[in-house]
Amino acid sequence: MVIIVIASTAAHSYFWSSRNISFILADSMVTTILALGETFVMLSRGIDLSVAPMMGLSAVIVGFRVQDHGLTLVPAILLGIAVGLALGLGNALLVAIVGLPPIIATLGTLSVYGGLQFVITGGRQVDTVPNSFTDLGSKLLFHGVPRLLILGLVMVGITGFVLRHTVFGRSVYATGDDAEAAFRAGIPVKRTLFFCYLICGACSGLAGVVYLMRTGSAVATTGTDNNSNLLAIAAALIGGTALTGGRGGAVGALAGAVFLSLTLAAMVFAHIGAVWQPAGVGVLILLAVVGDPRTRKLAVHRWRFRGRRP
Amino acid sequence: MTVIALPRRRLVPGWGLTLAGLVALELIYFTLSTRHFAGHGSGMLALTEQFSPTGVLALGLAVVILTGNIDLSAGAAASLSAVVMGVELQHGWNLVAAGIVAIAVGTAVGLFNGLVIAMLGIDSLLVTLATQFIATSLATSIGGENPPYGFSKSFLRLGTGTVGAIPVDLIVFAVLALAVVATVTRTAFGRALTLIGYSRLAAEYSGITTRRTLTLVFTMSGAFAGIAGVVLAAYYNSARADTGTTLLLPAITMVVLGGVDIFGGRGRVGEVVIAVFLLGYLTQGLLIEGYSSLTATMVTGILLIAALVFKVWLGRGTGESFISAAQRLLAKRGRPARE
Repeated sequence: MVIIVIASTAAHSYFWSSRNISFILADSMVTTILALGETFVMLSRGIDLSVAPMMGLSAVIVGFRVQDHGLTLVPAILLGIAVGLALGLGNALLVAIVGLPPIIATLGTLSVYGGLQFVITGGRQVDTVPNSFTDLGSKLLFHGVPRLLILGLVMVGITGFVLRHTVFGRSVYATGDDAEAAFRAGIPVKRTLFFCYLICGACSGLAGVVYLMRTGSAVATTGTDNNSNLLAIAAALIGGTALTGGRGGAVGALAGAVFLSLTLAAMVFAHIGAVWQPAGVGVLILLAVVGDPRTRKLAVHRWRFRGRRP
Repeated sequence: MTVIALPRRRLVPGWGLTLAGLVALELIYFTLSTRHFAGHGSGMLALTEQFSPTGVLALGLAVVILTGNIDLSAGAAASLSAVVMGVELQHGWNLVAAGIVAIAVGTAVGLFNGLVIAMLGIDSLLVTLATQFIATSLATSIGGENPPYGFSKSFLRLGTGTVGAIPVDLIVFAVLALAVVATVTRTAFGRALTLIGYSRLAAEYSGITTRRTLTLVFTMSGAFAGIAGVVLAAYYNSARADTGTTLLLPAITMVVLGGVDIFGGRGRVGEVVIAVFLLGYLTQGLLIEGYSSLTATMVTGILLIAALVFKVWLGRGTGESFISAAQRLLAKRGRPARE
């Protein structure tokens, strides 16, 4: 995967300007943070299709507070996370407590949250965000390093630590790998799942605020209109997190998101029309899953005798 | 091969009856609350024009979901077919030839899905997620900056015309629905695909050519998406690249609301048909009452969740042990507990 990144950069020498690269990196942070949340859910053998409206709702709610009531930076971030937590709680209840299949529960909340976002905006939009926000989104810390990248890296670090070195993180892997084994081993499967969806919500909420910093605007269709959902899932997948649970990690989400942004930017540089960008993402997903022999269902023993641990 | 009798355990007695009751309630409510809704009886029929294409999409998806897979590319494939149809008509193609080619394009998308999923053994969610993106790009680029519009009257009859009082696209939907019901319940192929959804392992051990069946199932879904796309082009009198994509979520909702188990192996296409009417009339009724389309979408989501919570709640206390229940619910593709 690294090779492809190098190849795509080498093909366009002008591509490797620090300004361009830092722009791409900053751009990929929204997807990265979404993908981090999605990683938790996917590791537990679930899927969350509602990250896009959760992010959009957070961006819209925080945006209005900032625009109309002069909310400052730190409370805004906290509010965004709180909104995400509240929405994630809905998913968590449906999946972990009621026991609905994740794909259906989050498909339902996708519609509900999307509608809610529309109702809240009521046709208005956020367009005047103070400089304290947009500076963080677009200014560089020092030469070539955008400030957002630091935020993203910190998030990846925290996520990686939680997944690798805490009881909860190990429970997530165990639950996703084999829920029954985890249950029999005394792992609180329901509680683990519950927190996975909660964390995914919080990450989406944070991503909403970051989106606000990055673009300085938010409308009723923010998140849902540019396929953030699928981009987040694609980033996690390309980063090596398996849809079947129990395999993957935080760094993969970062790598996947950056790789995705890089490739899309490279396509722009190669004068490939914007209409082909979705196709690029599609081909990348296909290549990632076809190229990874571990994703194949070789015979029927795949999930049963998978000795590999992350 | 002898016919395999699948153990049919009904989680909720008479789910179809419940749905039908809801449809009746809904129709009565909207008729009373909105004067224009019934429109002397024919208006109610005419409303089906709005959701027949979604219904066709849902039929194809129902078959896929019965095998325990999912086809996220169906909506995009429908868009692609619609655009292809529009471009062909603009170039003065013969109606029948254009229709066949447009449906063939949708079928090709399905065939590609099927081949990759069945032959390479990759999760259908991933593959169709990818082909969804690819089909969308294709549709956008073929459609160009100015999507084709303004087709001949004879073609538009397919989308907005009527035979007697019955809209043509409702007839298309009805014929396809009957065909799918017959295929799933009365043929060896239908039995095979249900068994694959119930337990792929058991299907393989009982000599079913699971790969061929899966490929066929996805091809079928692609073909249905193609038909839906052609009908959509005729209905809107234009072929934009996003016509079909927005229908995917309602179509999946219809299938799940119709009681098809998302893990496969359980469900009746007949009940999906009732769910198509339930959701279709609900959306249209809300729109006529002046709610925005996003509010209608929100209600759709709430309905989906409520229906499932209701079902899960009723399914409790059927003697299923907690572990097997937990396993069934946790597993995304429902592999455990079936083998």
